[in-house]
Amino acid sequence: QRIRSQNIVPCTVSQLLAAEQVDETFRIRDVEISQVTIMGIVRHAEKAPTNILYKVDDMTAAPMDVRQWVDTDEAGGENVVVPPGTYVKVAGHLRSFQNKKSLVAFKIMPLENMNEFTTHLLEIVNAHMILRKNLTSASRVPQSFSSAGIGDMGGYGGGGSLPVNGLTAHQSQVLNLIKNCPVPEGMSLQELKLQLHNMSMSTIKQAVEFLSSEGHIYSTVDDDHYKSTDAE
Amino acid sequence: MGDLHEVPRPRIATGHLAQHIGRPVCFVGRVEKIHPTGKLFVLSDGEGKHTTVELSEPLEEEISGVLEVVGRVTNQATIMCMSYVQFREDKSPFDLEIYNEALKIIHEFPEYFPFG
Repeated sequence: QRIRSQNIVPCTVSQLLAAEQVDETFRIRDVEISQVTIMGIVRHAEKAPTNILYKVDDMTAAPMDVRQWVDTDEAGGENVVVPPGTYVKVAGHLRSFQNKKSLVAFKIMPLENMNEFTTHLLEIVNAHMILRKNLTSASRVPQSFSSAGIGDMGGYGGGGSLPVNGLTAHQSQVLNLIKNCPVPEGMSLQELKLQLHNMSMSTIKQAVEFLSSEGHIYSTVDDDHYKSTDAE
Repeated sequence: MGDLHEVPRPRIATGHLAQHIGRPVCFVGRVEKIHPTGKLFVLSDGEGKHTTVELSEPLEEEISGVLEVVGRVTNQATIMCMSYVQFREDKSPFDLEIYNEALKIIHEFPEYFPFG
């Protein structure tokens, strides 16, 4: 059973260096990864006829080799070398040759706002925590790891919101009943109590309050009637 | 540049200096003052706490704003600087306080943000 990440995973250089190679693929925490992003400072840049070789340093390990292929059809200027000392975000594929890991970048951009770097630190923790959780619950890898932070990389980041499966059984039951209620003014607390024999009114009210604050439902004619925000 | 750039350098704030004596670190802070000799300057972290940074050679340029220093923590809990860069703030100011909060997270989850 092969779990593959469809996504572009933000990583530290140390995580990339530690990734296991199985045949032609790489795995972090047993999840196959391919496209990754790193953020770091350019320590070295070397231009060759067909490619630019950078060494990008994010402090978690030694600088990583990042190769960017130059479009030789473009008459000069398209691939401008990013000077050493510049903080960049890199999106690319992990590669290994003679036991040395490197990245082949499809996008390298200087960071214009260093707060994006702070966001990236947090996105790494979040993404890898999700990778680990998906292993232990043996469920599918979620659609997108990244939030708006790297949205301006031209869609490589996905940009969808993180999946939140934080509903308890009670909350799910209440939400489903409200979702399926066809009446225009929605479902009342009294009706919920009639249908949900196992739940006390206070439990129902707590669930409704939570669902409302999370944006799953909204009140209609009064505070006792609710409709789902997902309703057709 | 020195070989310090080939090893992991944990990102720390002033409060972590004591736990990293003798070790390579990466410190981000705002320039507070510069000694007249140019061989010493003081940075403040996201909580406003000060760290002293020492240089083996005097500064050759003006420094200001937010600096990221790579160096080794001395026995006196100062940082012997190997290199530094200035964070660009021409488009947006850098939120040092939020960076400090992010440090707390990455320290809390070393399994998801390993240094080395």
